[in-house]
This record gives sequence, C-alpha cells and structure tokens, in this order.
Amino acid sequence: MRPTAVRTALAVAVLVPVALFALFVGVAVGAGQLSLRAAWNGVEPDATVLFRLRIPRVILAAEVGAALSVAGVALQALLRNPLADPFIFGLSGGAAVGTAIFVAASGTFLGAATAAAASWSGLLPAQIAAVVGALAAALLVFTLGRARGQLAPERALLVGVVFNSFASAVVISVEAVLQPEQTQAVLLWLSGTMGYEPNGVLLSAGLLVLAPALLLTGLAGRLNLLALGDEGAASLGVDVARTRVVAFFAASVMVGVSVALTGLVGFVGLVVPHGVRMVTGPDHRVVIPASALGGAAFLVLADALSRALFRNLGMEPPVGAVTAMVGAPIFVLLLRSRR
Amino acid sequence: MTALLELDRVRYRHATALPEALSGASLRVGRGEVVGVIGPNAAGKSTLARIACGLLAPDAGEARLSGDPMARLSRRERARRVAFLPQHQPADLVFTAREVALMGRAPHLGLWALEGERDRAIAEASLAEADVLALADRPVSQLSGGERQRVFLARAFAQQATLLVLDEPTAGLDLGHQVLLVNALRRRGREGHGALLVLHDLALAGAACDRLVLLVCGQVLAEGAPRDVLQPALLARAYGTAVDVISDPTTGQPLVAPRIAR
Repeated sequence: MRPTAVRTALAVAVLVPVALFALFVGVAVGAGQLSLRAAWNGVEPDATVLFRLRIPRVILAAEVGAALSVAGVALQALLRNPLADPFIFGLSGGAAVGTAIFVAASGTFLGAATAAAASWSGLLPAQIAAVVGALAAALLVFTLGRARGQLAPERALLVGVVFNSFASAVVISVEAVLQPEQTQAVLLWLSGTMGYEPNGVLLSAGLLVLAPALLLTGLAGRLNLLALGDEGAASLGVDVARTRVVAFFAASVMVGVSVALTGLVGFVGLVVPHGVRMVTGPDHRVVIPASALGGAAFLVLADALSRALFRNLGMEPPVGAVTAMVGAPIFVLLLRSRR
Repeated sequence: MTALLELDRVRYRHATALPEALSGASLRVGRGEVVGVIGPNAAGKSTLARIACGLLAPDAGEARLSGDPMARLSRRERARRVAFLPQHQPADLVFTAREVALMGRAPHLGLWALEGERDRAIAEASLAEADVLALADRPVSQLSGGERQRVFLARAFAQQATLLVLDEPTAGLDLGHQVLLVNALRRRGREGHGALLVLHDLALAGAACDRLVLLVCGQVLAEGAPRDVLQPALLARAYGTAVDVISDPTTGQPLVAPRIAR
C-alpha cells in the first residue's frame, strides 16, 4: 500500500467537500437576506449583492486564506519549526510600521508618493504602505538572519521576534502623536479587515498567490528533506541554501499580497497547516496543496461568520479578530490531541 | 583500478580564528574496503568525513570520487556516489521510518520527485537490512535512540551509493546491531562497495575494518592494517594514556584495553 496515495485520497475526500461547503456558506451568508434563485435570474438588488459583493468577497477570502496557509507551511519547513507563522519574520511588525508611518505622514511628500502609487495600482495607500513595510522587514530579517552567507533559521527567527517587538514600540510611539480617529483606522486595518476589491486586483492577487504556491509545490520534495537537518538534506543532493532562499521569498510574496488585501490576519497560517497535517501526515507534496484548499475554506468561513455577526453587533468584527478567536482554541485542541 | 575515494593532502579550517581542523590528511578507500578513522576528540575525524562526502570543500588538497574531482560533480551525482550518515540526527522527525528510508532515494528521482515501485522496494529492503522493518510505519520521533539510528542507516543504504561515509554509526547501537551493521558493510564490500567509518570504539574498529587511519591534530599519525595501527606506543601518543593491546587467542584480532589503576 502506498501511504502517500492513501493520505492524498483522504485529504481530497475531506477537503474538497469542506471547501465546497465553505464556498456555499460564504456566498449564502451575509448581513442581509439574499435569494440565490432571484440573484441568478437577475432580480435586483439580489443580483448585485451576489455578483458584486458576495462572490468577490469569497474569492478574496479564499486567496488570502490559501496564501497565508501555504506561506505558513513553507516557513515551518524552512525553519524546521512547526510553530512558525507567516508573520514570524517581522512581516507583521513591518506592515504595522509602514501603515503607521503612512498615516502620520499624510500630507507630506511620502504620503503623496504612496497615494500616487496607490491610484496607479488600484489599491489603497495604506495597503501599499503595509506591503512596503512588510517586505522591507522581510528583507531586513533575511539580511540580519544570515550566518556564513546562509540563512540561519535560529538566528532569523530571533531577529524576526526582536524586530516585531521593536516595531510595536515604533507603532505605539507614532500612535501617541496621531489623532484618535487616525489611531483607530490604523488599529482596525492592522487587525485584519476584509473589504471589496475590484476584479482586476482579485485577478492579479490570484496570480501572485498561485505562482509561488506552484513553485513551493515543486520544491515540496526538497522541503521534506530539510527535516533531516541541513547536513542530511545536503548529503542527498539538496542545495539547502538555495532552497531556503527560494522558499523564503515565495512565502514573502504570498504574505505581502495578503497584507495588502486584508492587513494582518493571524492564526490561519498556524492552525490550517497543523490541522491539515493531522489528516495528511507531514509529506509536503500533499500538505502544500491541501493547505491551500483548507486555508481558503477556513478564511471564507471565518469571513462569513464575521459578516453574519453584523446582524447582532451592528458592525462587522475584523476578520483577523474572528480567526484569532476561533483559531486559538482550535490550535490548543489540536496540540493536545497530538499523540 | 581507481579508488572509490581519495583524499589528497586535504586542509580545512572552520573559521579564521580557529586552528586548522585538518592539515594535510590523505587517505583512500578502495573497492570492497571498510576503512575506519580513529583518533582522539577534536582530531578532525568528522571534518574528514564531511570532506569525504562533499559537504565541505577542502581549503587545499583534493577529494576525488572514483577518480573524479569532487568539486566537478553535481550535487545529485555526488549523492548518487556517496551516502553520508551525520553524527547527529534530528530526534523530532514526524515522518515514519519508511518515509525516511524513501528519502534516501531522492538523488535518483526525476523532476517531480515521485517514488516508483522500485524505490519502494529498495527502501523496504534497506529497512530490513537495518532491522527496522517492523517499525516501518512508526513516526521516527517515537523511536528509541538506537532504533532511530538504524532508521537513518536504512536511509543511507537506500541511497545505493558505492561509498558509505558513516560518522559514528554504532553510537547508540547495542552489540547485536553493531555486528549486524558490520556484516552489512562486509556484504556490500563483496559487491565492490566501500565504507569509511568514524569510530570511537577501538575494539570494534579493529574487528570491523580492513584498514585503520589514526588521525591526531588534523594529520594522519598512522595508517594500515588494524594490528599495525593498534600499537600500544602509537595509541598512547595519540590518546595521551597508557593502553594495552592483546591478541584475541582464537581470532588473532587486536583487543585494546586502557590501563586504569585500581
């Protein structure tokens, strides 16, 4: 019997229905009532709600959920640490600093330049600022986390943690001089919020998530070998340094896209890979595609929950808050149920 | 006939501030030969093993596999010719023993790194050879230290390289499995394969190896048949302590005992 084949079949059998269910829930649930039949027949306002609001929103959630989960798997593999999450390399801190500085700098040259880049790309200025901040942080951690010309996992991990603390100090300092409503805008955005993106943005984001995900799937065999340790992997013909760099930048692109679209959505990149591995085992050739499916389903459901809560709360809680509140207990349960 | 492995006056320094780990060491492993590297701590044994499998490139001198300079081989080609068992293995691997043995097939796989039936059969045979087939479907993290060591040996066997470089392969192995390993190496030797072992146990080194290399301070102090290298005077100089060597009355094997005052 081939265990990989069995687990792949099991993963497909579990994850495909889950993903389809999530898509249905994501489309059917929302702040208002919607008749799918009416929308399909072009009856307004149902058609607009379905095609202009719900479906783009579900696609957005699926893209970001898949990106964060796959990035989490990649970083966990290259750091050889199952507790790594997509923001571990200082990406969250970088995004926060970028946003805070942009808000503080509105009206200056920096703010104007960001606004110009934003109008060109179809994104919001704060989104551009966050991505620039996140990627700058990734580059910084990558540079400082090297030893003997190679990315050294333990060092990079420490640099990332320290950088995130440093960044939160910067953000607090900047917020001290901001107006209260500006502070709230930064805070809300950083806690991970999902909006409505134009189709062009959704399409390019989809490609920017798909390409690194495929690249990482191609690297999956080598990511498996990294578990043997650097020497074990190298003695099997793996270029360890190059594999790390490629996986690191592929993950950073996916996290950058997610930060641009939704701010910081926590726990997805941690919970989904753990849950997936419980079904599929640790083979990355299965874990990476399965995490993409699972992550998409998870975030679509979390976003549907957040929109459903609008009816009770009178406002949508940030989806990042939902994933954290749902994700944290799930994560603890998963940890405790591990053999 | 060219040797499987030739190290020609290799020198290596791990960092500029450190003394040289190897200062001009040479050795060769011929077809069918089991060669043991012995020596005190920090003599450069593990550095030598890493150079022998191409993980480190020597600062000076040359390493050759079957006559080809190591530096000219691609990583995968090198991995098809020499399998390496590092001294330390990850203890927290969630992969099963079977999956780890299959990883040994990596240098032989194509673009998509998918194993075929033949790779599975080889992995299975390697698990059996290392006596861990009964544990094949257990995660490595659940195994004992000695069992884990045997799983990694199976991985090295599955690589089907003509040269095995094993850094302290008997660490954690009980007596029965030490003998099993030596017999496996001998069997491979009869097929023309060779092995380079880093060993601490001098009695085992004398019994298991066709030839021994005594390394001290990065240089070869003595080299030859076990009975020529395991000489009291040489060992006393290398290890800095008095040693008795007696011949086993039945096999003639040299037996080494440290002289410890009672």
